[in-house]
Amino acid sequence: MMEQSLEKDFVEKLKMNQNLIHKICRLYTQDEDQHKDLFQEITIQLWKAYPKFRGESKFSTWAYRVALNTAITLYRKDKRSIQTSDVETANLFIKEEQYNYEEEEQIKLMYRAVQQLNDIEKALVFMYLEDKDYHEIAETLGISEVNARVKMNRIKGKLKKILNP
Amino acid sequence: MEGLDLLKKDWQKSTNSFTQIGENELSNMLKLRSSSIVKWIFFVSICELLLGIVLGITLSLSKAHDESSELLQKWGIYEFYMACSIVFYLVVVWFIYRFYQNYRKISVVSSTKELITNIINTRRVVKRYIAFNLISFAVLFIVVCSFGFYHGYTTESVMHNGNGQMPLTVMITAIIILILITAVLTLIFWLIYKLIYGILLRRLNRSYEELKKMEL
Repeated sequence: MMEQSLEKDFVEKLKMNQNLIHKICRLYTQDEDQHKDLFQEITIQLWKAYPKFRGESKFSTWAYRVALNTAITLYRKDKRSIQTSDVETANLFIKEEQYNYEEEEQIKLMYRAVQQLNDIEKALVFMYLEDKDYHEIAETLGISEVNARVKMNRIKGKLKKILNP
Repeated sequence: MEGLDLLKKDWQKSTNSFTQIGENELSNMLKLRSSSIVKWIFFVSICELLLGIVLGITLSLSKAHDESSELLQKWGIYEFYMACSIVFYLVVVWFIYRFYQNYRKISVVSSTKELITNIINTRRVVKRYIAFNLISFAVLFIVVCSFGFYHGYTTESVMHNGNGQMPLTVMITAIIILILITAVLTLIFWLIYKLIYGILLRRLNRSYEELKKMEL
């Protein structure tokens, strides 16, 4: 009975916060199958960790840490080849009509550039895009705030280089 | 930077643009099995830890063991062999305890760096366990074979009216050959081991290096 209500509670919270997981999957996977796979793994990891979630932090804050850690360290699929077509199909999960066609091309190039970053750099970009402050970024990754800032600046430079070789 | 900020705008706009997964499907996902790398590492490690133990027990229960203990007694190294076995199993138990302790520390809720460090530390224990196994195997192999060869040679020598002594050149050649064989065998084991974990841990090590680099 306890288990059932815990599960119901969890599924409800997960449903409300699923976009956060989708976004991580979008950065860390290259096609729909991998997206589903990683989504599943994150869900399982969240569920396994849920009994220890005390509600001290917001569910979303707690969940994105678990989700990021899963994407970076626990996810087993190791398909590294990045192809243009992969990036195109990665967007399959996005409903088409949401795209702003004027900037679409540039945004697509940006996504492609971000896909070329390594796992840790992607995590920083993800948190930057999510508008997290450096304190939170540093804490999530387990590095100092100064280093997080320095690294973020380097990533910006790296992206610029990828876009304008 | 214009590019990343443009991306940010699109990113936040696309928050609600993912195909939503329903409660039923989410519920079903909870029943699926994890395929996380930690789980793999855990299973492989347990297999490795068990392998040494199972092998030891099987050998000690087999008929060959009775014969070989007789031989060892005849060569006068039975006590040495038994002492080594006891020390070996004590060390194995210690390794298993360390492994369990480290494994418990792995938590998906800790910071990324802490998580990776804990996974790598857990692996390190098993890595040392394997190294320990290989070294003990090598040492025991060399000792037992040397005694066996020495005993066999001198017995043969007496039987063929020799003086029962082993010439120094024969002894040195035998030792060199023995060491070479042991080295090759150990190396093969080590390479297989490296290959398995190289594949399993490649990504993790890369991220770990990246985080370490950032702290410099």
